[in-house]
Amino acid sequence: MPSSAATDPGEVSDIDLVKRSQAGDTRAFDTLVTKYRGRIYAMTYHLIQNETEAWDLAQEAFIKAWRALPNFKQDAAFYTWIYRIAHNVTYDWLRKKKIQGDGEFDDERTEHRVAAGAEATPKGDAAPDTAMRNAELGQRIQEAVAKLSPEHRQVIVLREVEGLAYEEISALIPCSLGTVMSRLFYARKKLQEQLKDVYETTL
Amino acid sequence: MKPPSEDHDLIRWLDGEMTDSEIAAFEARLKADPLLSKEAGELRALSSGIREHLPAEMQVPHSDFFNSQIQVRIAQMDLDKSHQKESGNQSLAVPLLTWLRHPWFATAAAVALAILGFVLMRPETPSSGHSLILSSYTPGLGVEARTYHHIEADATVLILDGLEDVPADHKISGLSVHSSDNQSQVATTTLFDATGSPLLVISRDAVGHPLFLTNTPRG
Repeated sequence: MPSSAATDPGEVSDIDLVKRSQAGDTRAFDTLVTKYRGRIYAMTYHLIQNETEAWDLAQEAFIKAWRALPNFKQDAAFYTWIYRIAHNVTYDWLRKKKIQGDGEFDDERTEHRVAAGAEATPKGDAAPDTAMRNAELGQRIQEAVAKLSPEHRQVIVLREVEGLAYEEISALIPCSLGTVMSRLFYARKKLQEQLKDVYETTL
Repeated sequence: MKPPSEDHDLIRWLDGEMTDSEIAAFEARLKADPLLSKEAGELRALSSGIREHLPAEMQVPHSDFFNSQIQVRIAQMDLDKSHQKESGNQSLAVPLLTWLRHPWFATAAAVALAILGFVLMRPETPSSGHSLILSSYTPGLGVEARTYHHIEADATVLILDGLEDVPADHKISGLSVHSSDNQSQVATTTLFDATGSPLLVISRDAVGHPLFLTNTPRG
């Protein structure tokens, strides 16, 4: 599970800031927001790929955290706790979007689509390892991740960006370890198909 | 494509989820199977590309505004809580809900809030005491907003540091409002000067757009 950022000597600890926030000190809470907004926003942005919605959802996560602070026992790091809240807020948003009918949330359907996925392969004009600059590659990767289903994008973000272990991912989503591995497998296969011209090697 | 159960070994190896003995066994498979080795190399490169290009931390757009909006919402929640405690009377709830359904309520509420904010900021209001600025936001990154309460002037002072100099020939005028009257039935608010003359009438037109009627030249 993600842990709190390293603190500078002299910087007020999260524990103190949380205690002061729990006592109603909004300035202390503002410090926590400033400290973690970049990481929380990155997570919401990677999951939903929309700047405005990600901004709103990150803010909603902090509001929910403020409301729930009286019940926070500090048995986990503040960042782990706020991360979980932000993840749930974002995932609820994705679920609602699914109910509204985009239909992209069907894991099985996506997995079958991956199996037949050659259609998604972009056509590169030149050998990518020589022609593609780093920034362009970053753009390609972001576009490929954006095309994943929300569930596949979720495991990629949790694993590759946040570095969560399988057990942590399965507890956070929640789902079985087998499901985590399957989703990671299919998500990577889809990314591999989309970025075939970048990463394919010859024997 | 292999079934997921077989490929789980590959992704577990990639993600460092194997025990030492499992790693040794899998790496022996990699040496013996060029196709599997190629696949592992490609997926490993893909993983490192994702890590490199999807940052774990990003600059929040309008980050000061992000924080200030959170503070405003927290203050609103506190206000709502105290209002709930005060009202607490169930019998008031039903007529209030009925009232909320009136089409003009949103307009009236917006105007009332604006007037409330204005009255709180107005130095001449004897009962206002010290105004409380919950938060401030300046869209320009180089501009910093500060506020303080000037006891002698009984006024809340807003200071904007970092603005460009105003040209000497630039005309600035404003409204010196001394009182206001909110006509909720017709959803209008009238602002009066010290002599009791109306300065500004705030209302809405037929399609709900804000409407300002003034008899004071503005520049």
